[in-house]
Amino acid sequence: MNIKILDSWLREYLKTDATAKEIAKALSLTSVSIERVEPYKQDWTYDIEVTTNRPDLASVNGLAREAGAVLPQQELNANYLPLKTKTVTADGKAKLQVENNPNLVNRICAVVMEVILQPSPEEVKDRLEASDIRSINNLIDITNYVMRITGQPTHVMDYDRLGPHLKIREARKGEEITTLDKKTYVLSGGDIVAENKNGEIVDLLGIMGLENSVVIDQTKRIVFFINNVNSTKVRKTSMEQGIRTEAVQLNEKHLDPELCEEALYLGIELYKEFAQGKVISEIIDIYPNIPQTKQVTVQLEKINRVIGIDVPTTQSIEILTKLGFTVEQKGETLIVTVPTFRLYDVGLPEDIIEEIARVYGYHNLPSKLPLLNTQQPKPLVNVFYWETRVKHALKYWGFTEVYTYSMVSENLYEGPLENAVTIANPLNEDLVYLRRNVIPSLLHVLSENKQREHIQIFEIANVYDKKENKLPEEIRFIAGIVKSPHTSFFTVKGYIEQLLKDLGITDYEFRPSTENSDGADIFLANNKKVGAIEILDENLIDFEMNFDLLCEFATLKKMYIPVSKFPPILEDISLEIPAKIQTGEVIAEIKKQNSLIKEATLLDRYEHSRTFHIVYQDENKNLTNEEVKEIHNKILQSLHNKWGTREK
Amino acid sequence: MEEKLLHIKNNALSMVLQAKNTKELDEVKLQLLGRSGSLTQAFKLIGKVPEEEKAEYGRLINETKQIVEDALQSAFDNFKKQKIKYQSSLDVTDPAILPPLGHLHPVTQAIEEITTIFERIGFTRVRYPEIDYDWYAFEALNFPENHPARDDWETFFIKEKPDLKKGPQVLIPHTSNGQIRELEKKEFPIKMLNIAKTYRRQDDISHVPMFHQFETLVIGKDISIVHLKGTLDYFAKSYFGPDRVTRIRPYHFQFTEPSFEVDITCDVCKGKGCKLCKEGWLELGGAGMVHPNVLRATGVDPDTYSGFASGFGVERVLMMKDGIKIDDVRIIYSPKLDFLEQF
Repeated sequence: MNIKILDSWLREYLKTDATAKEIAKALSLTSVSIERVEPYKQDWTYDIEVTTNRPDLASVNGLAREAGAVLPQQELNANYLPLKTKTVTADGKAKLQVENNPNLVNRICAVVMEVILQPSPEEVKDRLEASDIRSINNLIDITNYVMRITGQPTHVMDYDRLGPHLKIREARKGEEITTLDKKTYVLSGGDIVAENKNGEIVDLLGIMGLENSVVIDQTKRIVFFINNVNSTKVRKTSMEQGIRTEAVQLNEKHLDPELCEEALYLGIELYKEFAQGKVISEIIDIYPNIPQTKQVTVQLEKINRVIGIDVPTTQSIEILTKLGFTVEQKGETLIVTVPTFRLYDVGLPEDIIEEIARVYGYHNLPSKLPLLNTQQPKPLVNVFYWETRVKHALKYWGFTEVYTYSMVSENLYEGPLENAVTIANPLNEDLVYLRRNVIPSLLHVLSENKQREHIQIFEIANVYDKKENKLPEEIRFIAGIVKSPHTSFFTVKGYIEQLLKDLGITDYEFRPSTENSDGADIFLANNKKVGAIEILDENLIDFEMNFDLLCEFATLKKMYIPVSKFPPILEDISLEIPAKIQTGEVIAEIKKQNSLIKEATLLDRYEHSRTFHIVYQDENKNLTNEEVKEIHNKILQSLHNKWGTREK
Repeated sequence: MEEKLLHIKNNALSMVLQAKNTKELDEVKLQLLGRSGSLTQAFKLIGKVPEEEKAEYGRLINETKQIVEDALQSAFDNFKKQKIKYQSSLDVTDPAILPPLGHLHPVTQAIEEITTIFERIGFTRVRYPEIDYDWYAFEALNFPENHPARDDWETFFIKEKPDLKKGPQVLIPHTSNGQIRELEKKEFPIKMLNIAKTYRRQDDISHVPMFHQFETLVIGKDISIVHLKGTLDYFAKSYFGPDRVTRIRPYHFQFTEPSFEVDITCDVCKGKGCKLCKEGWLELGGAGMVHPNVLRATGVDPDTYSGFASGFGVERVLMMKDGIKIDDVRIIYSPKLDFLEQF
């Protein structure tokens, strides 16, 4: 969360000659990120990003304490002037009974006061507005003012509207409330609420006040009410209802219950000062869950080992002490007692080391690369290698790579939905199912580029296969689409063949598609189907392959075959072949006839005739015409016997 | 026979040399290699050669043919060159005939650059599940049970019965599950680079529901903050250029202690402070010393081994590159070719 604080307000608790910019820089480097320092009237505001573990820094007092510790380490003089509050003993006539539930609230401090409602003084207004908090009236402003100084959210209610009895309980499912900004919410149950004697819910604790108890223009008596609530429950309600007040953002971060008392007495002082306040009840302090004190023991040797340099022990002790820790040195160890405002955050030697290292200054440490000279060698070729190689090949063949989401809508999911890997809490209905193939997403990309006549795109991404009682199987797929007027199946087949060749895969086969579509299935050795080419229409052809399977077969191995000293003999044979006979079968039959046939390819195809180009070569001698003639005849004979072909 | 071949060869070469233009050269070619050309005829003589000389004759005549063909080709090439030289109509500003050139997605390009940089200093790239158990995504990473990242509002959960030991399945919200998976292997020392798709329930100008992170993990003996600084400096200077400066400052993560956020100087204002940055700095990502609870969760003794980890967004470092000027992360996932073809 980010909060804003005026520089002059901080200086009420911090004595220093450092400029606002210097303070911001020193804090950013050693403590909390001051994202911006901006001019405000004659002053500066700090915009502070408070991390979830340090709610103590979301306050003027906490920030001053921290600055008092870190500034001197950055050669800036600074002294923390702690917040001091006076306790009040009061015995008024107004009654307030609070029945707590210790599972919901760790501490409650409250008091009833007589007040006069009026605008806040200018200084209070300025300080709040610089913090992005709207000034309303003195009664409400004081609650925010106390919150900003102490970091503890506080709450004010109209005592006469509320009544003298409050009972803390969990909300039941379906109970309705109206918050002070007049919005109605239906609670889902388990929320922390307070009800009055009439059983009406009068407060949504830790989150926001309610319309039926908020102070109004006629308010004369108030309940100033402070509580340390169960962080998890507050967060749950706030997220369910979408209420993200600053109070929530603090209360969900495990605040120090000690703050309640400090906030109470500070508030009483301010009501006295700005609202002519008078305490008219006893001080209520219900404190069932007092936190345990904590001690951490750290080896001095470990401090230096983790930080990487030797930090003087006196400096370590000084840093910790100024941060509010109590330190005792025993031989080679430090025994550190953690202050209440850091109990939730600090508990291990590593935590103590962090405190020392950050205030010492990470920027004061040297930079070195880790050596680790016993590393194991790793193979050169892996799935990443092939992925890069294939992506680059496709790029230089004119393909553009796209990235689409792994999650798809019902429309883009192919296959029965009950087998889909499904998101239980989707963000929207477009992103619900983990896809089983990539093509539908690529078609979506096409639809976003309708005006283009020529498109070649591809993607390599995981698809997800549901497994019973196991993690889904994640399989890497490669998919692509070629869109072009009158594009050809053979163009796409060509990309696939060249890809396979570049992957060192020579054993593959294209077979007619077994799905109800035009195209081909692609098989690798051992009859393993690796993917398919699909003709969608005359302008649109896609392909998809299991990339993990391709990688299993891919190899960089090459084998040298001595180049033959004897020239090959080339020949073209034209044949009349029935259309239903596939070229692949014919070529296989031709090659079978003799091992001297080095190559057989289809050269041309016209109506019922096909011309094959045949290369004969003997590694050991020159072939004679007679030898070639004999093989030639054998080819014609076998093709004729098999399919009744005739030479043209 | 050999003499006869020598004669044919010499004769042929002089004919090639004497040709004055491509037309004459075409005629010469026909006279030598045509159906009744002198070389073609010489091939036919092989039948008359005694059996024991056949092989030698075959070799010689092939060699002769090669020499003549080369001479012809180079003569043709010379004429062609001259022709271009004197062709006054050649307009070199006419459009070229381009070989095909597609585009790799900017995220791929960033991943390749990041991988190269870390491999140079001994890191090994790995890949782990994108859908993983709560144990790997949170529990073993020292996330408390009620941590906000573990609730329905921030992380995507998979509709599947939770595993009795490892909990529900989630779409990983960070690449840090790789730390646990890597540590479980117990092969030390570790210098891991894990790059993967990551998912969070968010969609706005600076967040998309699917994005990419790269995670480093270094585990060994006596690995300190000094080494973390060194490694991240090396990366930042290699990736962004030597003029950019990085700094680490305190931050908070569950799985590291101490934790850092890494900043780099803004390239727009050169570190002076401007609207785009925070007092001259931009956040690069998170890092820290691996939390002892994380080591313990995987059965590694934190007194023997220590180390650091970092997790940065791929899109984020991409957007922070000099001059790229992408100010909305959603643009990176645009399906428009007009965008993709710029990379």
